[in-house]
Amino acid sequence: MKKAVWEQPGSLAEAFWKNGIADIPIYDMHGHMGSHNAIYFARCEAPEMVAHLRRIGVRRLVFSHHYSLMGSFRNQRVHAITARFPDILRMYVSISPHQTDFIAEDLDQYDSMAPLAIGFKFLPDYHKVKVTDPRYEPVLNFASERRLPILVHTWGGSQFDGPDVMQEVATRYPQVTFFMAHSFSGDLPGAKRVADACPNVYFELTSLPGQHTIIERLCADIGSHRLLFGTDMPWFDEYQHVGGILSADISEDDKHNILYRNIEKLLGKDW
Amino acid sequence: MKDFAFFDAQCAIGAPILGNARGGETAAGLLAEMDRNGVDKALVAHANTEAAGAIFANENLLELIQADDVDNRLTGVWTILPAQCDELPPPDEFFARMAANRVGALNLFPVAHRWQACRLTIGRLMDAAAERRIPVFLGQRIMDGGWRGVFDFMREFPAATVIVNGVSLWGADRNIRPLLENFPGCHVELSEYWVPEGIADLARLYGAERLLYGSGYPRFGHGSTMLSIRHSGLPMEQVRQIASQNLERLLTQAQLV
Ligand SMILES: [Zn+2]
Repeated sequence: MKKAVWEQPGSLAEAFWKNGIADIPIYDMHGHMGSHNAIYFARCEAPEMVAHLRRIGVRRLVFSHHYSLMGSFRNQRVHAITARFPDILRMYVSISPHQTDFIAEDLDQYDSMAPLAIGFKFLPDYHKVKVTDPRYEPVLNFASERRLPILVHTWGGSQFDGPDVMQEVATRYPQVTFFMAHSFSGDLPGAKRVADACPNVYFELTSLPGQHTIIERLCADIGSHRLLFGTDMPWFDEYQHVGGILSADISEDDKHNILYRNIEKLLGKDW
Repeated sequence: MKDFAFFDAQCAIGAPILGNARGGETAAGLLAEMDRNGVDKALVAHANTEAAGAIFANENLLELIQADDVDNRLTGVWTILPAQCDELPPPDEFFARMAANRVGALNLFPVAHRWQACRLTIGRLMDAAAERRIPVFLGQRIMDGGWRGVFDFMREFPAATVIVNGVSLWGADRNIRPLLENFPGCHVELSEYWVPEGIADLARLYGAERLLYGSGYPRFGHGSTMLSIRHSGLPMEQVRQIASQNLERLLTQAQLV
């Protein structure tokens, strides 16, 4: 048998295989926290999550709390949790378009949550509100003025956050950097269309690493310089997702781009 | 890899009716991906069994394997049907044919093939398979009622040697833990079990010997679950069990003839 991907001398794959960690930082740009209605998570609170992240060398996990996305757990409480692990955790301010009072309060208090808060998280498929709905506008305007990123859950075929609607909003707000969570899962042509039309858009990979040839096709069609690593932690194991990047049939440069270089180019190293 | 064998419990070859095999149409495509990732052996089913049926899939699987697998790295999985229509030979003869053709495990697709997975239809075959400890794949995706169908099947055939596959990416602990707790012959392949630190948790609760490396090819690639098993945090002896030794044991202990 010829040398496997894990045995290529000097490669990231070899380092992670041997040591479980490598001499690079990993930026996980899509995390959550807290229990879930449909899934048992044994490790969904900050201390247990952080222990898992440290094992593989995650430098930053940026998360939105399940309870804030699904219910009325306020973002200030998430900030207090984030502040307990300032060397590794950062937060997205969770936005529910159904809670316009909360949105006003969160924007008003944003400065007290920054710099641990680095932007916002939208979950249109779950809230069943199109991202072009006026209720998102105060947040989009705020992010545009301050040039903050917004992580938006996206899915192929969705009327709420599919390629057409996301292209519309990304074109309307060129100063906002959009992270397309799940990269429009299931609609690679749609993702490519948005990538070509909107330079302010990046594609986040949660749930895709491990799927046969998808990372290869994203690198070929969109380019590894537009891809960001993420895991939905505590949904998906860091080793599983990092393993999906490392074992993909892409270049060593592509792997460096995805795991840390792209986000360091966007946000720097000091955040 | 040299010091570390992987035996893939969950993969399929052949052209699926909806396409998308991405190289997995032939055994050569699978073997090339196994080589690229350092996987030594695989237990392989036919990718189009649901649409093309057991009769075609069982035959075509052998043709595909024999065409490319010069080093005998692949072991087949055959699909069962109800006894009453005599589509398959009686159990003893069926098992002997499996042995003669390097087929080591069974699967079933009762919803796609329109029959009831119960004692009335496959009781004689399942009892014989259980007695001979022949592994049978069982998953929520192929059973009527999803997980309820899996639970019903296990209650009906509690002594069966079963490999639960395709557990779904939404963490399935609420369903697989009760199965592992109640049925000693129940094992889980890990291609869709992506729970952080979850492999180690399952091994501590139910024993590492109950878990099997699976890639899920061609829907999934080989490498991601290899790394999550390698760095599950378990002692290396248990990592090796999960990577290959458990599946070797299941196939070796099966008494086909
Ligand atoms: Zn998410």
